[in-house]
Order: sequence, then structure tokens, then C-alpha cells
Amino acid sequence: MLARAALLAAAVLLAGCADLEQPVVEQVASTFAAADPSTRCAMLAPATVAVVEAARSESCVQAMAQLSLPEGAVVSSTVWGDNAQVQLVGDTVFLTRTSTGWKVTAAGCRSRGDAPYVCRLEGP
Amino acid sequence: MNRAASASSMWDRLRRVLRDNGLGIVFGALFLLTLVGQAISGHAYFNDQQISVGGEPVSLAHYLTSSSFGVDVVENWQSEYLQFFLYIFGTVWLVQRGSPESKDMDEAGPESDADQRIGRHARADSPRWARPGDWRTVVFSRSLGLVMGGIFLLSWGAQSVAGWAAYNAEQIGSRQDPVTWLGYLGQPEFWNRTTQNWQSEMLAVGSMAVLGVYLRQRGSPESKPVGAAHAGTGETG
Repeated sequence: MLARAALLAAAVLLAGCADLEQPVVEQVASTFAAADPSTRCAMLAPATVAVVEAARSESCVQAMAQLSLPEGAVVSSTVWGDNAQVQLVGDTVFLTRTSTGWKVTAAGCRSRGDAPYVCRLEGP
Repeated sequence: MNRAASASSMWDRLRRVLRDNGLGIVFGALFLLTLVGQAISGHAYFNDQQISVGGEPVSLAHYLTSSSFGVDVVENWQSEYLQFFLYIFGTVWLVQRGSPESKDMDEAGPESDADQRIGRHARADSPRWARPGDWRTVVFSRSLGLVMGGIFLLSWGAQSVAGWAAYNAEQIGSRQDPVTWLGYLGQPEFWNRTTQNWQSEMLAVGSMAVLGVYLRQRGSPESKPVGAAHAGTGETG
């Protein structure tokens, strides 16, 4: 009984902390697809910017200008520790918490079941 | 009483408390020291991993409130309490000839009320709940094992929740879907964390019971007296 109560309390605490962050990550994810290339680059995690620039041998802004992403509404979101996943209509966006707020680590992602998502834009 | 005599009396009292509670105090202090060690080394390791996946290092306070630190702590707690819970209940019925950890061969089982000094066999200095012979005596008679078992279940439950949170953070970090708590209980990661701790505890307990038959530690109540026969069971020195 005591164990079940403690388990419930811990789950509520975890869910509560995640709930506070959900509106923030949803806002970042839904803004990202509609943003201009320069704003998108500012919303990316530094490691993702580095991968994009290295992979395409062009600046982040140039790479973002060529990347079109569906601008769907938020379907659901989940936050675990410093990582978050936002499901949009037609897209899945992954985010990480940094010292300057939530940043996008991957977007344009498609599920492959238990395997990692395939993403058109992703970091390391 | 002058100030010097009062200080001396306080010092004597402190020394007595320290001596009377040496085991508890020393192991309590060692626990805190090693927990600090785990926090510091775990923080450094966590930040190494963060950097290797392109993330940012986190502060010590952030790490100490993370599910990653939580699961690493409680996964060891649960196995230690499981070990003692099983040992406490197991040694009621199981014996090991020649071991200081075992009762005599013919004493297996819960033993008589007279042997256990309960009910009408309780003595003047027996604990209060040893005397009535009703549910209180039944509970008190198993209180050590019940508390150890209870702490084990709480720690294991905490491991499952903290491990679930840490697992889902890693899942999303590697662009995979998170799982439900029940889903996590079916993951190899949960059982790998659990059984790798359990196996080491069972090995330690089993070897303690058997090695104590042939080996001695002079002055330790965990050992037989140095000169005791290998076949002598249940003696402690």
C-alpha cells in the first residue's frame, strides 16, 4: 500500500514537472516550421547547427532556406528530463533544454516503429 | 560543578555515545561520504555523456535532481534491502552446517515461544509487544524482515519510476518514442539494472555463509572463534 502510494506520488511529481514545460516546447515546435531561415537557425540546438553546416557545406541559414517543413497543429507533446518530443500534424519535432531555453534537435521526422525516427533535419 | 568538570563530563558522555553506537555511526558516515562520492563522479560522467552527444553540461544541483542520479542510487538500495530481507527470512528455515551465519541443524524454523521469549515466556526486560501473544507479537516477531522487505519494495518501486524517467529521456534524446511505466517494466534495461544488482548480492550472501565455515576473523561476531571446529554451527566470536 505504502509502496503504491510512493510510486503514485513519484509519478505525479514527474508528470507535474513535465506538464509545466509542455506549453513551452509546443510553442517552440509549432513556431519552428513557420519561421524564416534565420529564426530557425536561432531555434536550433548548437550541435544540430554544426551537423547541418558540416553535412551540407553551407551556412545554416542557406540550409534552412531549402528545407520545407509541414506547418501542422500540435497533436501531443511529452517532456522527459531535458528532452522533449512534439507531435504535429504531419511532423514530429525533437527538442532539448539548453541554458538559453528549449532548442530543436530534429525536425521533419517520421516514425520507424521501435527504431529511431528518420529526420530531414537532425543533430548528432 | 565548575566549568572544567562540566566539560569533562560532557566529553565522557560523548565518548560513551560514540563507543556504544560505533557501528551505526561509522557506517552512517561512510554511507554519506560514498553518496557524495557517487554524486561527484556521477555528475562528471553524466556531463561527459552530455558532451559526447552534443548537449550542454549541467550543474551539480541539476544532476542531483535528475532521474539519472535517482535511478543509480535506488537501484543499489533495493538490492541491498532485498539481500537482507531474504537472508533474515531464509535463515529462519535454511541452515548451513559449520557456518556462524546459521542456526544449529535442529533449530530450523520459527522456534518455540520459550526459545523466543514471547507471550508468557517474556521477561521483565522483553520489548512490550513480545508479551501480549496477540497480533502485536505476531507482527513484532517478524518486524525486522517486514521492514527490510518494505524498504526493498519502496526502493524497487522508486527505481522503476526513476529508471522509467531516465529511460524515456534517453529514448527521446536518441529520437525514439517514450514508453509507458508498464512498458518500461518489460524493457531489458529495467531487468538488466535489477538483476545485475541482485546477482552480486546473492553471491556475497552465499559466499559469506559458506566461507565462514572454514575461515575466521578474530574478534568479529560474523565469524566463529578462531579455534572453533569447522563443523561447529552457529557459534560467533
